[in-house]
Amino acid sequence: MKKKVLFLGASGLVGPYVTPGLEADYDLRLADVKPHPEGTPIEIVDVRSYEAVHEAARGMDAIANFTVVRGDPVLSFQVNTQGAWHVMKAAAAHGIRKVIQTGPQGVRHAYEPEFDIVDPPPVPDSGYYGCTKFLGAQICRIFARTYHIHTPYFVFAGLGASPKEPVLGKDFEVMRIFWEDLQHACRLALEIDAIPDYFQEFNMHSFDGHHKYRLEKAQRMLGYEPTQPWATYYRRTP
Amino acid sequence: MEVLITGAASDLGRTVAAELSDGHKLRLFDSTPVEPGENAVAIEGELTDPMAVWSAVRGVDAILHLGEPPADLPDDELARDQALLDHATRGTHVLFSAAVDAHVRRFVFGSTLEVFDEYPDDVYISENWKPLPSPRMAVMSRYLGEGVCRCFVRTNRIGVTVLRLGRQVLEEEVRESAGDLMWVDRRDAASAFACALQRDAADAVTWSARWDLFHICAPIHNGKFLIDHALRMGFAPERSFAHHWAPTAED
Repeated sequence: MKKKVLFLGASGLVGPYVTPGLEADYDLRLADVKPHPEGTPIEIVDVRSYEAVHEAARGMDAIANFTVVRGDPVLSFQVNTQGAWHVMKAAAAHGIRKVIQTGPQGVRHAYEPEFDIVDPPPVPDSGYYGCTKFLGAQICRIFARTYHIHTPYFVFAGLGASPKEPVLGKDFEVMRIFWEDLQHACRLALEIDAIPDYFQEFNMHSFDGHHKYRLEKAQRMLGYEPTQPWATYYRRTP
Repeated sequence: MEVLITGAASDLGRTVAAELSDGHKLRLFDSTPVEPGENAVAIEGELTDPMAVWSAVRGVDAILHLGEPPADLPDDELARDQALLDHATRGTHVLFSAAVDAHVRRFVFGSTLEVFDEYPDDVYISENWKPLPSPRMAVMSRYLGEGVCRCFVRTNRIGVTVLRLGRQVLEEEVRESAGDLMWVDRRDAASAFACALQRDAADAVTWSARWDLFHICAPIHNGKFLIDHALRMGFAPERSFAHHWAPTAED
């Protein structure tokens, strides 16, 4: 029997590219505040409403929260912080034991000049996006510990389709992840029984070639590997 | 100094204002009316209203953001928790943004020692211990408020002092109650804000030097919460709740 997963943010910039890779294995309840760009039926769920999130989470085995508002001084708090609280509160109320949460590379910007960054504490600045997502992550951490909700927290930036051919003469963003890799990561996160301390942040991207934000923790705890070796994308013209 | 006090209508706000009225010019900010005393003006406004907050902040030398919940919270539990969360996160962000824009040098935030509720009572807790707040909004929201302060202090030249306060009581009013290791007399808590006001760290080069955090609790004999760091700041509590926590023959 397929696991039932509430996918919040199904019509956003990420959801429509991730859910196709999950449909075969999971019974998805797609939800968002706006229609799906390809007309796929979704349920209208606003994460700013606890009642709406609570109702949508009823009967689910897991919640994947891909909602985000980046720069708005009010909405960013309501969606990224209060929304995270609503999701975790609903998970606790329904006894749901798995929540996938996402956050921006921005909480790691202070480490940008460094290398071999595996699992540093988040250090966001005061910008609305990074700060509100950071607060949402703290809420997730508190609920995960208290209610034993296993909560993998993916940190990434710069999502997109993988190139069909080797890319010549340019580099990739350090936390860019391709759709198929994010789909793969979500499947692993949904299938894993437990993660240490119920909450873990994972660098999540498609290239380990920079040796900057290392994938070692995601490999060790989730079994994650990019679908293509990073060297596939970095071939100089012979 | 010209000092803005938020949550000024609360019991703590009035006590802090009384502590500081001799020697400072005060702006008393709250969403409910405040009766200004000597050297004080009252400003009524919401912490989440950027224009009201900017008007209140412009020209002050220091901000004492007491962290006290608003008096006019809804009765419904969910609505109350949502309001508390918004007040502590967005409200603190609005206040801090204004403080940075107005070049305020000192910012003091009132948090709570309840972020250590999960630890047993048979250990000594100092500022080095990791908070483990519960999801109870009265506690979690204060912890998140600390997080907002950290976001700002890293990249702005402003001195930030966090006071994690014990449970505020008046010593004479709890004489017949069961002892609480987290007690602090409200008058002593107010004196801690006066001490923190003296801390001038805005010019420190590193953010960790602009930031500091103190546990504020009564000097209870063999207490759970160590306050040595606060004592070095100048905190000098006068009420030790000796009626409840006197040394025993075994000590």
